[in-house]
Amino acid sequence: MEIGAIMQHLRDPAGIPAHPLLFQGLMVFTWTLHIAFVHLTLGAGGIAIWGYSQSENEWLRLAAAMTKVAKISVSLLIVLGVAPLLFTQVLYDPQWYVSNLLSSRWVIAFIFLLIIAYCLWFVVYFATYHGTPNKYVMYSGLVALFIFLVNGLIMHVLAYQAILPEHWLEWYMPGGIVDNTGSSLHAISWPRYLFIISLSAPLAGLFLIAYTHYFAVRADYPPDYLEFVRGLAKKIAPPGFAIALILFFAWQMIVPFTHPIAWLLGLSLLIMALWTRTNSFTDSGYWSLLGGVGVLALLSLWRELIRVNLLANFGYTIDSYPVNLDIPSTVLFFTTLITVGGSVGGYYLSLLYRAGRISGKYTTEEPIARLGSSAIAVLVIWIAIFFAYGITIWLSNNFLKN
Amino acid sequence: MNMVGLYPTFYVPEIGTAWVMGIIGVIHVLASHTSVGAAFLFAILETVSYQHNKPQLMEFIKRYGLFLLIFSYVIGSITGPGIWYAITVASPRGVSGLIHNFVWVWAAEWVFFTVEVIGVYALVYLIGKIDAKSHLKLTWSFALASWGTMLLIVGILSFMLWPGYEAWYETGSTHDAFYNLNSFSHLGTRTGSMLVMATLVGLIVVSRMKEIDLRYNVVRILVPIGLGGGLFAVMMFMYYLQTLPPNATIMLNTYLLPMYSQAMVAVFVITTVYLLFAWWRPAWINLTVAVIMFLVVSVLGVWPEERMRESMRKPYVAGHYIYSNQIIARDVRSKNIIGEVDKIAEHGLLKLHPFVPDRLRTINDHNRLEVGQLLARIACANCHSLEPGAPLRNIPDKLHRATDTDLIAAFLRGALKYGQQPYMPRIDLPEDEILAIATYLATVNSGQDVTQLINQRRIAAQNVASKNWE
Repeated sequence: MEIGAIMQHLRDPAGIPAHPLLFQGLMVFTWTLHIAFVHLTLGAGGIAIWGYSQSENEWLRLAAAMTKVAKISVSLLIVLGVAPLLFTQVLYDPQWYVSNLLSSRWVIAFIFLLIIAYCLWFVVYFATYHGTPNKYVMYSGLVALFIFLVNGLIMHVLAYQAILPEHWLEWYMPGGIVDNTGSSLHAISWPRYLFIISLSAPLAGLFLIAYTHYFAVRADYPPDYLEFVRGLAKKIAPPGFAIALILFFAWQMIVPFTHPIAWLLGLSLLIMALWTRTNSFTDSGYWSLLGGVGVLALLSLWRELIRVNLLANFGYTIDSYPVNLDIPSTVLFFTTLITVGGSVGGYYLSLLYRAGRISGKYTTEEPIARLGSSAIAVLVIWIAIFFAYGITIWLSNNFLKN
Repeated sequence: MNMVGLYPTFYVPEIGTAWVMGIIGVIHVLASHTSVGAAFLFAILETVSYQHNKPQLMEFIKRYGLFLLIFSYVIGSITGPGIWYAITVASPRGVSGLIHNFVWVWAAEWVFFTVEVIGVYALVYLIGKIDAKSHLKLTWSFALASWGTMLLIVGILSFMLWPGYEAWYETGSTHDAFYNLNSFSHLGTRTGSMLVMATLVGLIVVSRMKEIDLRYNVVRILVPIGLGGGLFAVMMFMYYLQTLPPNATIMLNTYLLPMYSQAMVAVFVITTVYLLFAWWRPAWINLTVAVIMFLVVSVLGVWPEERMRESMRKPYVAGHYIYSNQIIARDVRSKNIIGEVDKIAEHGLLKLHPFVPDRLRTINDHNRLEVGQLLARIACANCHSLEPGAPLRNIPDKLHRATDTDLIAAFLRGALKYGQQPYMPRIDLPEDEILAIATYLATVNSGQDVTQLINQRRIAAQNVASKNWE
């Protein structure tokens, strides 16, 4: 059977409830956020482990801070990874499911490995309560980082196998013998994987710059310490981007086509390398983060363009996915995103941001206090509508139509 | 091209993919329900703390919150997507059907989930670092947002059982699927249960506290909530049972209640007695008993509940239109979904399945056993182990280890072909495929080494092919 036709048949017969471009845009956007926290986890985790092996107080203080950053970052990379996973399954269900089924054991292993790695990182985190972690705790941190990298590799393989449909049949039934075990990782693109992982170092550097900017207003963060951190950031970021640029070219050598977005991505790495080398970042700490997110957005876009191009060779395009428009659920998502995300998420982030910049107790200003009240009001109204609308549908279907 | 959109099959010997999913699912339910329930306990405790000037209650919230960070937001937040991964490899078309019907609902749940994760860190780390009133708002919004995740996921889980009425098949509208017949009873059951679980975990945290006054204060608030939640969960569960489809009711009365009812009654009684005891003597709560009680509820309460929910869905995996073996069971005209059972009956799985080697598409004496194994894995293994004595409703034992191929084939040609078993899919296959499956199952039941036999016959076939070539 021809693989292009197989992919068409594997598409879900229910179709999709809105225009495919909407899902594609959301997928690219949310993957950018997800991968940012993947990089932050690896970068901050690496700095923490390295820092604990040093004797200077600045290193130890920074290591403790980065341990906490990595811990929270894992939570966020998980939750932010859910959205692109969801939208991928909407548009690229044949590719994603086949790829997963070809490596099913690894898919299941991924879950338990992540739990183990995260628990090991908590071991490091709790050890920091009692001073500098001992060498066994350090080992658990190293193992955790290694497992995170393995999990990254599994995710890479699943994404990569998905865009190589011409190999699916030979992978599933090598020599005409069916393999139901899902025990193999069939395809790894080391340049692609290493390039994406390599961005952890420079992006952690950018995070450190923002970190110094954020804490510059606090008296308990002495200028010497902040200068040390800024200096470290400037040691990491420029060569980090330069190395990433080399790996990027290595990756591009094996991508069978090119596109202006790819060149823009390469150019952005070069610009970031030069900018982080020449800028002192004494009063513009957050711009560095924005630059980093820009690089990742280009990466996300380029990654999607590669998928679009490779699958188009087999006649698979997302704009041919049947659309069964569903207005109520579309409205549900966007109103929830704006109202709940805006008010409740906004309230939490405002509190965390403001409280973190003050050494003592923070008393909310009037606008933030109002945001807190509106967050509760929004949730109460949301829940009330959920039940009112739901009960109406439920009663109507139960008693009027049956 | 004549084809049905079936995916490759992932086969897990002995426990099947169903148990893999079940194990991850139970861990997730424990962690996620505890976290949502705990969010309300926090909100109530903090309100008491704020109104009656009892700042010591915040110490309990902080300790519980730290515990929750690991238990729920490490294990719970990983096993949540983990269920997705597991169901992807176990029932790809099932999860695909759910996603393509409910993507926006899931995306809205993701908004709540994101807010919840940020919220739990804010809640724990900002205790004592921001003014009390702002923190109280934070805690209440966290509780409501946490419940939001449950409100949104339960409708999808209920649809997996069935839509309950014809509306969705006619309109295809997500809200007709989401607000299905048993969604509210299901929501009520889980809402009550979450308060019980959170109370039990709360008592584990209490058992580590040395301050007797604080223990009294906390327990006297927690336990009534847990008892009330438990009573509510039981009432809603009774109502839930009234909203089941006929196939589920038969499954429930025939297999599930005889197997699990005593354990479920026992867990209710033991939990009630334990909570009353804790309320009476807060100082006597110790860590060992508290952990054992939590495990009792997990093993005797949540595991049977999740197993029942999964079993009652049979023969479907989603919306009464996708069979558990991934074949579309019926038309859903509003979505242009066409049932595949008749097409498979006409052409056979071997001809229509995209992931079958060409050498197995036509059955002969050399490959019959191998084809039978492959077809059994495709058509049966989502619900049944194929090994004698295995824990997942293994077929050899169901067939009483029968070695008579004709006897097994008669079942496939009769009850199964015409869909007369209410909790099994209608599997209507051509005669040669029926014989292949029957041959395979009879061989397994005979105790022979099937893998070795398949290899021998494959080599024999290759030899024959080489001779013909020469």
